[in-house]
Amino acid sequence: MNKEKTILIVDDIEINRIILAEIFKDQYNVVEAENGLQALEIMNNNLNISAVLLDLVMPVLNGIEVLKRMNKNGRIKTIPVFLITAESNEETLLEGYNLGATDVITKPFMPHFLRHRIVNIIELYSHRNELETIVADQIKNLNKINQSIVETLATLIEFRDCESGEHVKRISGLTKMLMKQVSDMYPEYHLPQSEIDKIGTSSILHDVGKISIPDSILNKPGRLTNEEFATMKLHTVKGCEILQSIPNMMDKGIYDYSYDICRHHHERWDGRGYPDGLSGDDISIWAQVVSVADVYDALTSERVYKKAYDHSKAVDMINNGECGTFNPKLLEAFKAVEKEIIDKKWSNI
Amino acid sequence: MDLFEDLKVLGVNIDDGLRRLNGNATLYKRLLNAFVGTLEKYYIDLDFDENNCTEITEKAHAIKGIAGNLSITPLYKSYTQIVDLLRANKAEDARKILEISLPVQEEIVNCIKKHIQ
Repeated sequence: MNKEKTILIVDDIEINRIILAEIFKDQYNVVEAENGLQALEIMNNNLNISAVLLDLVMPVLNGIEVLKRMNKNGRIKTIPVFLITAESNEETLLEGYNLGATDVITKPFMPHFLRHRIVNIIELYSHRNELETIVADQIKNLNKINQSIVETLATLIEFRDCESGEHVKRISGLTKMLMKQVSDMYPEYHLPQSEIDKIGTSSILHDVGKISIPDSILNKPGRLTNEEFATMKLHTVKGCEILQSIPNMMDKGIYDYSYDICRHHHERWDGRGYPDGLSGDDISIWAQVVSVADVYDALTSERVYKKAYDHSKAVDMINNGECGTFNPKLLEAFKAVEKEIIDKKWSNI
Repeated sequence: MDLFEDLKVLGVNIDDGLRRLNGNATLYKRLLNAFVGTLEKYYIDLDFDENNCTEITEKAHAIKGIAGNLSITPLYKSYTQIVDLLRANKAEDARKILEISLPVQEEIVNCIKKHIQ
């Protein structure tokens, strides 16, 4: 019999615990608790509890409170809880069900039926938990593959752009940090961490379109002519065309963010950016965030046509509007994370 | 007569109780003995204070649960009634049932003590 699994019996009366243990001891490891608090401690220390047989009326912490705390810590989703009680009060039993109890078994119970009901549910939960672990692992692997596809594309661009792979890493790091700050400071821009992570990954592809720009323009040491600049500006739309040709290589969320960032990371708050001349919040907040990160990184990095500025000079230039106008809220958020930027040496100086 | 025969006469459903314990007669006797101690711990006096109904209900509830699991049917039935009446705020009616039930309880306790203790 499978004794890898453990059943937790929670009842303040020892006789009841012994009777239940007698029913399950041949099939499972049995641990006992004489009140709700002990039960929670056991669950915290033993992650392999396969089922909880829970009495309702107990001193210190009753069964309903145990269920409430299991809801709070999420355990109720993975561990089946059976209320084993002499309780016949409908309201209490209903509250138990509403709090996620799997089943209610009333005393005196019939051992054979009890055993079958509990064993079946344990197997069902075990199977479901295994499937969830497999799915979570597969998602993790997919995310890794996504990340490497994105990074491979970005590295290709950087080879052409005579930059190291550090640029995209800095942009991704800055984007995540700034996006998190904006999300925390302004409820209208709030996003869950999982989305912020996707935006960070997507930001790596902001310049993918540069692969279509001739070397003579991309790596020109001097100032670009108007005509050359017009060609350079096309990297935003060309990038979108490249992404459109490989939509299935990426997670849908990352594709959508990448497309938007690629097209709009040169738009400006006052409408004087390109390629679409969007203004204000018509530009997605993630594209705005990547704009600031990209400008900051460009200012603090040495390029073929300029030397690197130090952090404070770069910040002044951004705030003075020398690199175009940015969302004032975004600039406030940038100010709030300035120390972290310096600490993490995201400035290239 | 042995313990089980005597208890059967008093209305205890020995076969049902044994089935619940996988036929383990030694364990059943041990638990019956423990039940005597539990009854002392949760003893409800006939002149219980009806202003203290919550505590009395919890005691009656505990006895009901154990009596049910040990198939001590007469006590299970009477304490089920007592719990229901107390919850319905009918303390006096609960007292009447307790009055009938206490001598039965005493007989069962004495029987267990005679054979085991």
